[in-house]
Amino acid sequence: MGPATMPDAGATRRPAGLSSARPPSRLARIFSLERIVMGAAIAALFILVVFPLCFLLIGSVWSEGRFTLEYFREALTGRLYLQALLNSLMLGAWTGLFSLLLGLPLAWAVARTNVPGKGLITLTANLSYLSPPFLTAIAFVNLFGPNAGLINAFFRDMVGAPWLGFNIFSMPGLVLVTVLHTFPYVFLLASSALQSVDASYEEAAQILGASKFRTVLSITTPLVMPAILSGVLLAFVNAIALFGSQAIIGLPGRIVTLPTRIYSLFDFPAQYALASALSLLFVVITVAALYIQRAYLAKRSFVTLGGKGARPQLMDLGWAKWPLFGFCVVVFFVSIILPYATLIAVSISKSWGLNFWQGLTLEHYRFVLFDYDVTQRAIVNSLGLAIVAATIAVFLGAIIGWIDIRTQIPGRKFLDYAALVPLGLPGIVMAVALIQFWLTMPIALYGTLTILLLAYVGRYIPLGVRAANTSLRQIDPTLEESARILGASWGHTLKEITLPLMRPGLFAGWLLVFVPVIQELSASILLFSSSSMTLAVAIYNLYETGYTEPVAALAMTNMAIITVVIIIARKIGGGQIGRKENEKPGDGVPQGGTA
Amino acid sequence: MAGITIQNLSKSYGGRHVQMAALSELNLNIADNQFITLLGPSGCGKTTTLRCIAGYVTPDTGSIHVDDRLLSSPQGVVSPEARGMGMVFQNYAVWPHKTVHENIAFGLKLRKLSAQQVRDKVEQALVLVNLKGLEARYPNELSGGQQQRVALARSLVVEPDILLLDEPLSNLDAKLREKMRSELKQLQRRTGITFIYVTHDQSEALALSDQIAVMHGGRLQQFGSPFEVYTKPSNRIVADFMGLVNFVPGRVAAIDAGQAIIEGEGGLRLQAAAPTGAAPGAPVDIAVRPENITLAAGGGTPGAGVIRERVFLGNICEYTVALPGGASLRVQTHPLQQFSEGEAVTVTVDASQCSIFPREVAQSDRAAA
Ligand SMILES: Nc1ncnc2c1ncn2[C@@H]1O[C@H](COP(=O)(O)OP(=O)(O)OP(=O)(O)O)[C@@H](O)[C@H]1O
Ligand SMILES: [Mg+2]
Repeated sequence: MGPATMPDAGATRRPAGLSSARPPSRLARIFSLERIVMGAAIAALFILVVFPLCFLLIGSVWSEGRFTLEYFREALTGRLYLQALLNSLMLGAWTGLFSLLLGLPLAWAVARTNVPGKGLITLTANLSYLSPPFLTAIAFVNLFGPNAGLINAFFRDMVGAPWLGFNIFSMPGLVLVTVLHTFPYVFLLASSALQSVDASYEEAAQILGASKFRTVLSITTPLVMPAILSGVLLAFVNAIALFGSQAIIGLPGRIVTLPTRIYSLFDFPAQYALASALSLLFVVITVAALYIQRAYLAKRSFVTLGGKGARPQLMDLGWAKWPLFGFCVVVFFVSIILPYATLIAVSISKSWGLNFWQGLTLEHYRFVLFDYDVTQRAIVNSLGLAIVAATIAVFLGAIIGWIDIRTQIPGRKFLDYAALVPLGLPGIVMAVALIQFWLTMPIALYGTLTILLLAYVGRYIPLGVRAANTSLRQIDPTLEESARILGASWGHTLKEITLPLMRPGLFAGWLLVFVPVIQELSASILLFSSSSMTLAVAIYNLYETGYTEPVAALAMTNMAIITVVIIIARKIGGGQIGRKENEKPGDGVPQGGTA
Repeated sequence: MAGITIQNLSKSYGGRHVQMAALSELNLNIADNQFITLLGPSGCGKTTTLRCIAGYVTPDTGSIHVDDRLLSSPQGVVSPEARGMGMVFQNYAVWPHKTVHENIAFGLKLRKLSAQQVRDKVEQALVLVNLKGLEARYPNELSGGQQQRVALARSLVVEPDILLLDEPLSNLDAKLREKMRSELKQLQRRTGITFIYVTHDQSEALALSDQIAVMHGGRLQQFGSPFEVYTKPSNRIVADFMGLVNFVPGRVAAIDAGQAIIEGEGGLRLQAAAPTGAAPGAPVDIAVRPENITLAAGGGTPGAGVIRERVFLGNICEYTVALPGGASLRVQTHPLQQFSEGEAVTVTVDASQCSIFPREVAQSDRAAA
């Protein structure tokens, strides 16, 4: 065989109308759309994540012009820091466990049983996920604060049984508030995986004599295990990175965690280097957790959505559906009704307390919307940033996911890791890394909306990549290959086949990014300026100042905005693959056209 | 329209430690305008061969040329969309988010046909695969066989130079399969498209092909016309895979000018071309098909046997005849020629239709032990 000269393209007969100049010259291949798009995605990932992290690393071992491990020594031996590490791990573990215990039964109920009120369950999970965690925290403080908490006050002053009260400023309190925000990770991933398992797999087991229970255990569970594990992992990593609730609930209860400890290091005089060292410890935990998950996933990747359509199998639970339904109602009450009723009550009461209902008023809404001059600017900024950031994160995620799963490019695993690491970075660490990186660049970004956008996309790119990976793994590669052989280019295949098939996953990913971005607090609080004020910062500033009732009013305004956007987004992005939008009932009996 | 030359093609799968050869040193010369079948048992590398030809797989060694144009080599492959081929996938790969019409029209739109032309061609394709009236359905509203026909229509409609079909009829009922077979055959004749058709059904291969490539364990065993492959199998594996065959153990009694006298168990004695490298005394297997054996009433030597079992199949009668050495033969006769079980018969073998294969050493060792 001669050297690797690829044949001349023009020499062969092309099918009518196919553009002729393929295969392209070497140059054209290097600069093909495929390469350009992938190259741009990789470059973006470096600018968003890799370089800032490198600067974080340098900042932790480089002091006054020389190398030092002093800060790591301090982070690893100081009692304060070890305690923070331990608290974070405990919080993460408990949260992961309870997210699973809450999320999985709900997911299974929705995807696979005839439990009544499925809409309610989905609503619960969605609303819990949408709720800004620090708002839930504020609501629970209003109920269970040791002195002023309404329920505690009720038991103490009205019932005379103070021991019935519950102190929210404790580890159980922190876990409770956190789980209410993280269980939807398990729920969303598990329910969509359960829905995509074709009934034929289970029917095959049942026909061989396996009982329903046995089938669930030996067929369904292994098939959806990767998704469940991903969900638990997201819950764990996300829980320990949540700055807002850990500051609002942990600090008064003297439960200092890594993010709040790092935060405190920014009090004057700021200890950037020590904060960087602590943050890197955090990164290590995340990478370790992700590594375990990937090692497990690599061994078991299941293509469940093949070229043939999937129909999930529903289980008739009989009487057992009522206890399950009851469980769902309790979850709904604790995670939605309780905090929102509280926030609404606080927002319309003249002064929060046992007699709050005696002077209802809309005064606080008028104040935050019209008198408090930052609110309107904050709303515009937050909305714009969240929409742009979510869109970028999802498309970047789709490209990176595609590179990881569909190509053999060396280093693609590194890309995937790099894109996942920010998940475990507290926003505040991301913010410091960005500041350090961009301060060395000749572009002045500090205090602009751009640096907020970079922080948001960088921080939430993992959600985009995860969503893309999960849906790509379920798309059989032959679906793309069959477009290529018909003459479709890489870009055309992406546009016509891959992205439309990924649409439900990408859409879920978009919402998954949009929601945390519009309520992002911990990175914003270091990066904002008066011109780039965001909603969450405005709320936090107000809370810090001690305005209990206006905070609630602003929080409800925030929720109203999120709700409206999501309703609009659902209208645009909803719909399932391969379903007619206006399917006529009774039209669905498959009939062969054979004579 | 296009001939394909495959030289020395190999492909292994596996991780760093264990490499599993899916394809070993495949050489195939496929002439223009041919209906070629890749035939072999499950896992023998048929799909891998197709995927190499289509350009999804980079070979470990070897090359693929189409009309003197190098398409695949370990150094690089021309991407699938630049090959002007079509492929029907074993798992259909019908796009779940497109209707039947959109699936079939996809390739036509890429070729920038007018809307009217697209409609007409899709219409014709639908008629061809018997799916008229289902164009607005989504794949999850179709049966498996209907999806398979959509996949078929989708690749036929663009009239590629080369069409690769991976078990395209596996999910159809016998009658429809019969019909689609002849449609495909006619279509190939009419258009001159080179068909490479994968199947593990030998009767399908015999009925359709100009040439059959029999594969086993990632290797090409024989490449020839259906008649050659059936009547002159090049080795035991091919003989065994192409329909019913009896293997009678025997040995070479004498060799004279390229002709060997073979003595088989049960007093069979025949003259045939000597297998390469066979010396007198070498153990061989005589492969003979049931329809090439005749029976006559009354035992006698040589060629005596006893009827053990009789199966009446309507158009033929199939007997199992026990030979004195312990071997047994399956024999097919005209249904009117009747013998009863236990009856002694004389067995005559048509020597011209026998194939002689040297017995492998390991096997003769085992036989001797
Ligand atoms: N992507 C892959 N990774 C690892 N091994 C593979 C892969 N694809 C095929 N193989 C192996 O290569 C061998 C040949 O596979 P191939 O799909 O070509 O078989 P086939 O002849 O098409 O079989 P069938 O009739 O069952 O479709 C098999 O042993 C298979 O396990
Ligand atoms: Mg195959």
